[in-house]
Amino acid sequence: MQAGKTGACIRHCRSGDSEQGPGVSMMKRDVVYQAALLFIIGAVVYLVALTTQENLARLGVDSSIDFLWKRAGFEIGQKLIPFDAESTIARAFMVALLNTLLLAAVSIVCASVLGAIIGLARLSGNWLVSRLATAYIEIFRNIPSLLQIFFWYFVVLRTLPRSDESIEFFNCIFLNNRGLFVPAVSPGQGWEWIAAALFFGWAMIYFLRRQERRRHAAAGFKRAETTGTNPLASWNLLLLAGVAGVVILVGGAQWDVPREARFGYRGGLVMMPEFLSLVVGLSMYNATYIGEIVRSAFTSLPRGQTEAAASLGLPRHLTIRLVLFPQALRVIVPPLTTVYLNLFKSTSLAAAIAYPEVVSVFVGTVNNLVGQPVFIMAITMAVYVFISLCIALFLNWYNRKIALTVVS
Amino acid sequence: MSMNWLRNNLFSSPLNTVLTLASVCLIIMIGVPLVNWLFINAYWSGSTPADCPDKSAACWPFVRARFDQFMYGLYPEVERWRIHLGLGLIILAAVPLFIPRFPGKRWLLLVLVIACPLIGTGLFLGGVFGLEYVETGRWGGFFLTVITALFVLSTSLPIAVMLALGRSSSIPLVRVCCATWIELWRSVPALVVLFVAIIMFPLFMPEEIEIDKLLRALCALTVLMSCYMAEAIRGALQSIPKGQYEAAEALGLGYWRRTFLVILPQAFPVALPQITSNFIGLFKETTVLLIIGLFDLLGMVQNAASDPTWISPGVSATGYLFVALFFWLFCFSLSRYSARLERKSLTYKTH
Repeated sequence: MQAGKTGACIRHCRSGDSEQGPGVSMMKRDVVYQAALLFIIGAVVYLVALTTQENLARLGVDSSIDFLWKRAGFEIGQKLIPFDAESTIARAFMVALLNTLLLAAVSIVCASVLGAIIGLARLSGNWLVSRLATAYIEIFRNIPSLLQIFFWYFVVLRTLPRSDESIEFFNCIFLNNRGLFVPAVSPGQGWEWIAAALFFGWAMIYFLRRQERRRHAAAGFKRAETTGTNPLASWNLLLLAGVAGVVILVGGAQWDVPREARFGYRGGLVMMPEFLSLVVGLSMYNATYIGEIVRSAFTSLPRGQTEAAASLGLPRHLTIRLVLFPQALRVIVPPLTTVYLNLFKSTSLAAAIAYPEVVSVFVGTVNNLVGQPVFIMAITMAVYVFISLCIALFLNWYNRKIALTVVS
Repeated sequence: MSMNWLRNNLFSSPLNTVLTLASVCLIIMIGVPLVNWLFINAYWSGSTPADCPDKSAACWPFVRARFDQFMYGLYPEVERWRIHLGLGLIILAAVPLFIPRFPGKRWLLLVLVIACPLIGTGLFLGGVFGLEYVETGRWGGFFLTVITALFVLSTSLPIAVMLALGRSSSIPLVRVCCATWIELWRSVPALVVLFVAIIMFPLFMPEEIEIDKLLRALCALTVLMSCYMAEAIRGALQSIPKGQYEAAEALGLGYWRRTFLVILPQAFPVALPQITSNFIGLFKETTVLLIIGLFDLLGMVQNAASDPTWISPGVSATGYLFVALFFWLFCFSLSRYSARLERKSLTYKTH
C-alpha cells in the first residue's frame, strides 16, 4: 500500500508533496526551472515581436486588421452565400470558410460510409469480397492523398465529355467536364413550413418514445430493455416522411432541375470539378483508415458475445444491431476522431487545385492583395485550431456518452 | 477440395452468391479497361512525344524521357555522383538498424542523426572541399523527397524526445508549455505550417539573415513531425511499468540518468511501430512541398506533364502511375515492417 503510494508520487505528484528534506530542495529546483523557462519564453517572444515590427516597418506594412472591411475586388468560383467583387474581404473569408466546412462535411460523410462498407466487406465470409476490400485498403492507403486528388482532377475529370455531350442520369443529373449538375430544392415559399413540419414530426416521435418508455417502466422493465427493439421504430420514420412529404406537396417547394442552356447547364446545384475530385480523393484515401478501424473493432469483440446472443435466440440482424454494433462503436470512436481530424486538415490540399477554401483564398489571394501576413496567418491558424478543437470536443463528448457504464 | 471450397467461401447463401457475382462484375469492369490501358494499348518504346500518337493511352516514353528529372530534379548531370555517394552512405549506415540484435545500434543512430545534416550540407550542397555549389533550387524529384523525409526524421526525433519528456514532466509550467506547443501544431494542416515558415519566418528574423526556402520548409516539417513523434513517444513512456521508475529511483539515479539509461531504452522499442507509421505519413506528406513551389517527385512529374509538347491525359496518368508505384512500394514495405515489429513486441510481452 505504502509502496504503491510513493510509486504513484514519483511520476504524478509534485516532488514537493513529500515533507522530507530532498523534497523541499526539489520544489525549490522546480521553481527555478519554471522561472528560467518563463524568462526564456518571454525573451524569445519579445525578440521575435521586436524584429517582426522592425521588418514590417521596413517593408512599409502598417499592420492593422482594417483590411477585413476593404472591398475584395475578386470573384470566387463556388459560394454558398452571395458574394461578388464589391463585397468585403471579411465576407470572402466567410465564403472560403463555408467552402472548407462543406468540403470537410461531405468528405467525412462519404469516407465514413465507404469506410464502413469496406471494413465490413473485409470481415465478410465471402472470400472474393474480403480479398477485394483488402486490396482496396492496401492500394489506396499507401498512395499520398494529394496524388490521388491530382489523379481524379487532372486525369479522370479532364477526360469527361464536354458540356454538349454530358453523361445523363434520369434526365435530371448531368456530369461533364464543368462539374456535376444535380437538382436542388429551391427554398421557395414553403421552406419554413417544411422546417416546422420536420421539427413537429421529430417532437412527436420524441414524445411517443418517451410515453412508451414510461409505459415500459411502469410495467417493471428496465430502461435498457426497451431501447433498440422499439415497436414504433418503423412507424416513426413513416410519420416523419409522411408529414414532411405532405407539406412539400402542399407548401409548393420546387425542385430546381438543371436544364440545357446555350452555354452548358442552368439551374440546379453545381458541384465544381475541383470539389468533386477533392471529395472523391479525400474520401477514398481516408476510407481505408476507417475501414481498418471498423474491421479491428469488430474482430476485437469476444466470440462469446455472438454466441451468447445466439443462445438467447436473437436473430442475426438483431445480434449485430443490439449486441455487436454498440460494443464496436465504443472501440471505433477514439481512433475515428483522429481520422476525422486528419481529413479535416487535409482539406487544405484543395489549395493545390485552386478550390476556393480558406488556405487558397486567404493565404493565397487575400495575402497577395493586401500583404498583411501576420494577421492572415494568425486568422488561418486560429480557424484550423478552433475547428479541430470543436471536432475533437464533439467526438470526445460522444465517446463519453456511449462509454460503457459498468453493470455490476 | 475446390468444389467444397467454392461452395463454402463464395456461394454459401443467396446473398453470398449475389456478392460474389457483383465482385466478379466489378473486377471485370475495372480490370479489363485497366489491362487494356496499361498493357495492350500502351506505348512502350521510344522517348519522344511522337512515340505516343494516341493521347489517352499509357505513354511510357514520357517516363523514359524525363526519368533523370524525376530522380534528381535539375541537379547538374556531372555532379550526380554526389547524390549516389551520399544516399549510398546513409543507406549503408542505416541497414544495420533493421537487423535485429546488431550490436551498438544506439551509437549508430546517434552517428546517423549527426552525420545526416553534415552529409546534406557538405556533399549535396557543396561549396566546400572544392565541390561545386549546387543551390537548393536545383534539387528535386525523388532525391528531394528522400532527403526531406530523412532530414526531418533525424531532426524531429531528438526534439520529440524532449517534448515528450516535457509533457510528462512533474513541473507544471513545463508540462503546460509542451502540451500547448504540441496540440497547437497538431491541429493545423502541414500546408499551413509550411506557409507560416515561408511567409512568416523571414519576418521573425533580423534583416541580414536570409534563410533558404528549402531549409525553411524543412524546419516547418520538423516542427510538425516532432509534435507527432512526441505523442508516439509519450504513449510509450506511459506504457513503462511504474516499477521501472521506482527501481531506478531506488538505485539513486537522478532524473536524467533515470530517463536516458532506464526509461527511454525501454520506451523506444514500444514507440517504434508508431514512429514508423508517422514516418510513412511524413513520406506521403512531402508531396505538399509542390504547393509551395518546391519540386519533389510529384511536383517534378506534374511539371513535366504540363510541358506543352507532352501534355495529354495519357501522359499525366502514366506519370501519376509512376509516382504512385514508387510511393506504394516504399510505404507498403515500411508498413509491413512496422506490423512485424508490432507483432514481435506483442510476443515479447507474453514472456
